[in-house]
Amino acid sequence: MIRRLMLAAGFATMSVAAQAGGVITVAMTAGEVPITTGTPDQGFEGYRFVALNLYDALVNWDVSKSDTASDIKPGLATAWHIDPANNKRWLFDLRQGVKWHDGCDFMAQDVVWNFARLMDNKAPQFDTFQFALSRGYLTSIAAVTAVGDHQVAIETKSPDSLVPYELSYVPMISRCRAEALKYDYSGYANQPSGTGPYLFSKLVPHERLELVPNPNYWDKARIPKQDKLVLLPMPEANTRVAALLSGQVNFIEAPAPDAVPRLKSAGMKLFTNIYPHVWAYQLNFVTSPFKDLRVRQAANYAINRDDVKELLGGLMEDAYSTIPPATPYFGHPVLYKFDPKKAHALLEEAKCLPCDVTFVISTSGSGQMQPLQMNELIKAQLEEVGFRVKLDIMDWNALGQVARDGIEKHPDDAAVNASKAVSDPFYGLIRHVAKAQWAPVGSNWGHYEDAETEDLIAKINAEFDPARRNDLLIKLNERMNAQAVMIWVAHDVNPRALSPKLHGFVQAQSWFQDLTPITVDP
Amino acid sequence: MNKPVALAVAEIPADSDFDGAPATKVRGYWQSVGYRLRHDWVTLGFGVIVLLIVLAAVFAPLIAPFSPYAQSIIGRLKPFGWRGHPWGTDELGRDMMSRLIYGGRISLMMGLVPVVIATMIGGTLGVIGGFAGKVANTAIMRTMDVFYAFPSILLAVAISGAMGGGIVNGIISLSLVFTPAMCRVAETATAQVKNLDYIEAARASGAGTLTIIRHHVLGNVLGPVFIYASSLVSVSILLASGLSFLGLGVQPPEPDWGLMLSTLRQSLYVDPLGCALPGIAIFITSICFNLVSDGIRAAMDVRI
Repeated sequence: MIRRLMLAAGFATMSVAAQAGGVITVAMTAGEVPITTGTPDQGFEGYRFVALNLYDALVNWDVSKSDTASDIKPGLATAWHIDPANNKRWLFDLRQGVKWHDGCDFMAQDVVWNFARLMDNKAPQFDTFQFALSRGYLTSIAAVTAVGDHQVAIETKSPDSLVPYELSYVPMISRCRAEALKYDYSGYANQPSGTGPYLFSKLVPHERLELVPNPNYWDKARIPKQDKLVLLPMPEANTRVAALLSGQVNFIEAPAPDAVPRLKSAGMKLFTNIYPHVWAYQLNFVTSPFKDLRVRQAANYAINRDDVKELLGGLMEDAYSTIPPATPYFGHPVLYKFDPKKAHALLEEAKCLPCDVTFVISTSGSGQMQPLQMNELIKAQLEEVGFRVKLDIMDWNALGQVARDGIEKHPDDAAVNASKAVSDPFYGLIRHVAKAQWAPVGSNWGHYEDAETEDLIAKINAEFDPARRNDLLIKLNERMNAQAVMIWVAHDVNPRALSPKLHGFVQAQSWFQDLTPITVDP
Repeated sequence: MNKPVALAVAEIPADSDFDGAPATKVRGYWQSVGYRLRHDWVTLGFGVIVLLIVLAAVFAPLIAPFSPYAQSIIGRLKPFGWRGHPWGTDELGRDMMSRLIYGGRISLMMGLVPVVIATMIGGTLGVIGGFAGKVANTAIMRTMDVFYAFPSILLAVAISGAMGGGIVNGIISLSLVFTPAMCRVAETATAQVKNLDYIEAARASGAGTLTIIRHHVLGNVLGPVFIYASSLVSVSILLASGLSFLGLGVQPPEPDWGLMLSTLRQSLYVDPLGCALPGIAIFITSICFNLVSDGIRAAMDVRI
C-alpha cells in the first residue's frame, strides 16, 4: 500500500513537472514595448502585460474568474477604510513580509516615496514622464503620509469614495533600486524592480521584453507556471495571425475578425469575453446638432447593431449604454433599439433634416476595433434616417489629442469616436459627464452639463457604503442613458487566440488578464 | 520657337530605294518622335491599356454596374465570380468592380495633378535658377536640396501627417515631394543651354532675358522635363496609394485603390483574391504609365 502511494505521488509529481515550464510568447497590439518604469504607456495593454506583471498596486484587480465582472481586491494593501473622523482621509493597511525583486522589504515609506515620485516635482525621485502618465489617476489626492511602517494615510481634496479604484492604476516601484541608480529612470527601465509575479529578464527596445517567474511572489497561487514570458509588439492584426499560424508566437491579442475561421481551422483556441469597453461616439453638447436631446436619441435609434456585429464576424456585444449590462451598476436604462422610422421622426421634430454632423475618427488604435469599416457602415446607417455625416479621419495619436483638447479647440466637430475603458465607476460613468471633467481637464469631451447628474456625482463621491453607492451609480447610468449622452455602438469581446499547446488561461471580464496560470506543452 | 539644333534627324525608312539617287526623307523632330512611337509596339500596347483605364475612369457612371457606395452587409466578401458581382464584394458588401472603376478616377487624378503642379512650379524655379545663376541659383537649389534630402515617401507621409488626410492635402504633399526633382531637371537643362552660342547670339542681338527664355531656352528644357514628368506619374499613383493605405490620403467611403487595399487586408484569410484586386489595379496602371513613359523617353531621345 505504501509503495502504491509512493508510486502515485511520484506520478503526480511527474505530471506537475510535465505541465510546468515552456515559454509564452505574446504578440501584443502595441507598436512598441510598453515602458517598464511603473505606470506604463501603450494604454491598458501596457498594464496588462508589463505593469501588472512586474509590479503591484496597493489595490489589485481580481482577474481569476471569467463569469463575473472583475472588481478590485487587496494588493499591496490588505485592507482600507475611510477615517471615521475625516471623510477626506483614507487609511490603507499594508501587506507585511513582501519583498521587492531586489530583496529590500516593502514598507509604508516606499508608498510615500512612490507618490512623491509621481506628484511632488521638488522631490529628488520625481519622474516627469511618470507624472504625465499617472496624473489622471491622482487628481483627487492631496497628501500621502506613513502611519508607522505598515499603514499609509491618503488624504483627498474632497470626499472621494472611489480612491481605491484610482489607486489600482498606480504601480509601486522599488525605492531601493531607484536610489541605487541615483534616480536614473532610463537605467531603471533596464533593471526594474517591483513586487509582481514576474521578474525582469531582458529588454530589446522596439523588439521584445522577456520576463521570468518570481518564485518568491507573495501570492503563492499566482507564481507563474511557465519558464518565461516573452512580449512582442506587433501592431498589425494579420501579422499577429500569421505569427501564430507559423509558430513564431503562441498567444495573440485581437486577431482580425475575418481571420478567426482560419485560426479555428488551424486548431487555435479563440477566447472572447465581454469586458468593460465601449465603442461609442462622445458628443458635442455645445456647438453641434447633438445639443438637442432628440438628435442624440435619433442617432442612437439609427444604429443597426446587428449589421455592425455581422461586419465584425460576431465579435462584439450590442452597446446601448456606456457600461456593459453585467456591470453591477447597470440598472435598467432606456435602451435605444434600432428604429429608423423613430429616428427620422425625431430629426424632423428637431428640425434637423438633413442633419449635418462631422465625426472625428481614427484609422486604428487600442480598443478601436475596425474603425474605418465600422464608421463607413454607421455613416450609411445614419444617412438613411436623415443625417449627413462627414468623417474626419486621422491617426490614433492625433485623435487622442482631439479627444483631450475638447470642443473648445474643435467646435466644428460634432462627435469623436474614441473607444473607452469603463472599468470602474469613475472611468465608466463620472468622467464622461461631470462638469469638473470638462476637457481639456478631463474626459468630458463635449462639455456635457446637467444639474441632476452633478447632484448624483456629488452624492456618489460622498457615499462610502458600497451598496448605497451602487444604487446611486445605477441612477447615474440610467440618467446618462435617458439623456443619450453618447451614441453607443459596441462592446468589444476582447478576442485573443492561443496555440492549442497553451492551457489554463481564464479570460476575465477585464482589460487586465492573468497569464500566471498558463502552462505550455512541450 | 527655336528647335534644338542637334535634334533635326534623318530617318531612312525600311522601304527606301537605294538604287539610284538616295531617297532620304528628312523628318522634323516631332515627326521623328511620332514615327518611332508608331513603330514601338510595346509602348503602343501599354498606351492602349492606359487609354482604356482613362476611358473607364471618365465614363465610370456609364460602365460601373452599381454605385460604389451601395452597401449590403449580408453580401459582404463575396468571392470573385459571384453571381451579380463578377469581381466579388468588399468588406461592406459593395461591388468590387464598381469601386475599382471609380477608384481609377481618384488614382489617375492623384497620379496626374501633383505631377502637373510640380512641373509648373519646379520647372519655373529650375529655369530661373539655371538661367540666373549665382545667388538666385544657390538660393533656389539649396532650398530644393533640403527637400531632396528626404526619401519621397517619408516626406509625403510627414507632410500629409502634418496637414491631415484628404484628397487636397494629398495632392499638396505629393506636389511638394515632386517639385525639387522637377526643379533639378529644369535647372540642369537650362544651365546646359544658357552658354551655347545661339543664346549668346540672341543676347548680342539685343533680346531680353524673358525673350531668350521663352524662345530659346524653354524648347530645350521642356523635352527632358516632360520625359521626367511622365515617369513620375506612376510614382505619384504609388505614393498616393501608399498615403491612402496609411490613412493619410483619400478618406472613406471614397473608392480609392490604396484605401481599398488597406481596409480589405483584414479579410486576407477569407477572400485573398478580392484583397489583391486593388493592388493588381495599382500595379497594372503604374507599370503601364512607366512603360509608356519609357517609350516616350526613348522616342524623344534622338541623337544623330
